[in-house]
Amino acid sequence: MRELIDHTDGINRLLSRYGVKFGLYKNGTFHEQLFPFDAIPRVITHEDFAKLEKGLIQRVDALNLFLKDVYGKKQIVKDKVVPEEFVFSSSGYLPQCEGIVPPKDIYSHISGIDLVQAKDGEWYILEDNLRIPSGASYPLIAREICRRVSPETFTKTPVVDNRNYNKLLKEMMDYVNVGGIPVIMTPGRYNAAYFEHSYLAERTDSVLAMCTDLFVEKNYLYYRDYRGEKKRVGVIYRRISDDYLDPMTFLPESLIGVPNIMDVYRSGNVAIVNAPGNGAADDKGIYYFVPKMIRYYLDQEPILKNAPTYLPFYEEDRKYVLDNLENLVVKDVAEAGGYGVVFGSELSKEKLEQMKELIQKESRRFIAQEVIDFLDMDIMDKGVRVPRKADLRAFVLSGETTKVWASGLTRFSRNPDSFVVNSSQGGGFKDTWVLSR
Amino acid sequence: MGIISVEKLDHLYWLGRYTERVYTTLRNFFRFFDQLIDQPEGYYKKYCERLNIPDIYTSNHQFVGSYIFDQNNPDSVYANMMRAYDNAVVLRDELSSNVLSYIHLSLDVFEKEKATTAPLLELQQVIDYILAFWGCVDDYVDSEDCRNIMKCGKYVERIDLYIRLNYYTKDIEKEFSKLVNRIYKTHMCYNMENLDRLTEMVNRKSDWKEDYREALSYLGNIIEVR
Repeated sequence: MRELIDHTDGINRLLSRYGVKFGLYKNGTFHEQLFPFDAIPRVITHEDFAKLEKGLIQRVDALNLFLKDVYGKKQIVKDKVVPEEFVFSSSGYLPQCEGIVPPKDIYSHISGIDLVQAKDGEWYILEDNLRIPSGASYPLIAREICRRVSPETFTKTPVVDNRNYNKLLKEMMDYVNVGGIPVIMTPGRYNAAYFEHSYLAERTDSVLAMCTDLFVEKNYLYYRDYRGEKKRVGVIYRRISDDYLDPMTFLPESLIGVPNIMDVYRSGNVAIVNAPGNGAADDKGIYYFVPKMIRYYLDQEPILKNAPTYLPFYEEDRKYVLDNLENLVVKDVAEAGGYGVVFGSELSKEKLEQMKELIQKESRRFIAQEVIDFLDMDIMDKGVRVPRKADLRAFVLSGETTKVWASGLTRFSRNPDSFVVNSSQGGGFKDTWVLSR
Repeated sequence: MGIISVEKLDHLYWLGRYTERVYTTLRNFFRFFDQLIDQPEGYYKKYCERLNIPDIYTSNHQFVGSYIFDQNNPDSVYANMMRAYDNAVVLRDELSSNVLSYIHLSLDVFEKEKATTAPLLELQQVIDYILAFWGCVDDYVDSEDCRNIMKCGKYVERIDLYIRLNYYTKDIEKEFSKLVNRIYKTHMCYNMENLDRLTEMVNRKSDWKEDYREALSYLGNIIEVR
């Protein structure tokens, strides 16, 4: 592994050569920035992964059943396992998706589940991302380069080859395809994750399309080529959010969607990956109920734990949160990407009081969690090995069966005082090694 | 994937044009730079006239810096390289990461070397990368249509620059026959009348110095992309 660390700059140079960047806006101007790679990998033992794999499959299967239920019979709400306030008032719940049954009954085809490992070795789920989770392409391409730089590392260490993500993705897309070409739809090159859109299109042999390339005719979705011929689209892995997907159904001002695509989807004439409306299941408020969903739908005890979470919506929890706010982390359920996260310990007395008032006034808007003492991960910072906070995004693909990719995106904070690991806030990434024995 | 939308057709064509613009202007600039050493102040004006770019420069020295490395100067070679990148970056699925990497590498040279005192030394790398890019296109781009569209862009740009920069007639003829060959292989719309007129100019061995405006107007409108 020493060789990998010694060649970190070279690896980053190659990543730059292949355009492994993410975009962000600073002062209204678009910049592309290298997503810094640290060569010290996260290593997950064979035993740990076996447990994670079972737990993640269990969780994602339950979440898929929840989505089917919420947009169908709503039995879990009728049985009062999940309060209706947490489902139907969630911004992720889309009434326009009521009654739609997606091809093969799969809602969350690609689930990005964020986890952290505590110092006692226990893994905790931090959040579920069931809309358009990104990040798989980074460890995928990084592994390719690392193997080139230090083949010996990989002959001496029994690391499971992770370069099958594209194969898993393609298999899943083929499984739900209702007849036609596979398309990855991007909002365009100024999207933060554009590298990933284009790279996955290349690796899965899909067409990378923008909204202007697609149109609906007689309730089918087509891709138009330059000769004027049209190709039917059977599956679309869309990398734009629900709100912008179809101006005829959602935001009418959307210029990056495809008019009437929801009608095609409703008729079963195209598979949309992931299904619109999945936000109903990955809302930070709903997260609290996932262990209950597992018991309800699968009649199993959850294998993986949630971080200890409180819902100010419930009086008992609210009292605890208000009494212990300085020791908790509060998250706005409507925010994502590391935004809307407030650590009570970092607030002044005045701000703490303001936060308490807000929680009392808008109790549905927040969740509060105990601050988990993350297991720090070492990174190289200017030649010195230093500990930093890091999380893991595991990718679970649901097709004919549910599979966990034996890798994942490990993101770390470069700031020694920060728990926030998001790339948009200056974080970097590592490869994630799963040991085969 | 090889299924090309109108949008991608446009990007493929202009990727061909911009990479060629960088390649040929750099090669030509190497010769011009050599002449500049022995010429009086203001010699660069001739170059601007031939290329029909506005003279916004103040001295031979400032011209070299701005024309090559100023990313805010829309006529600079760096700005043209950025335009090539803008068109390439949306084509990864057609080009492959390997092909695209040579555009990234070329752009990085400009970024790193903008403060250099010896531009010709480092810019040789850009020429090398662009040559590698075209070699890689032939090896990695599966779709013949994609390759042909890009090469149409490349030859249109090359002929345009050869005419403007007073290349020999035989050079222009050679590139023109390559262009015609590519046009027939693509299924792009093209303006037959303009192609015929240009063919006629080539056949009668036109005086390009004299007729260059007419030739450029036909050439610019042969291929009908948006």
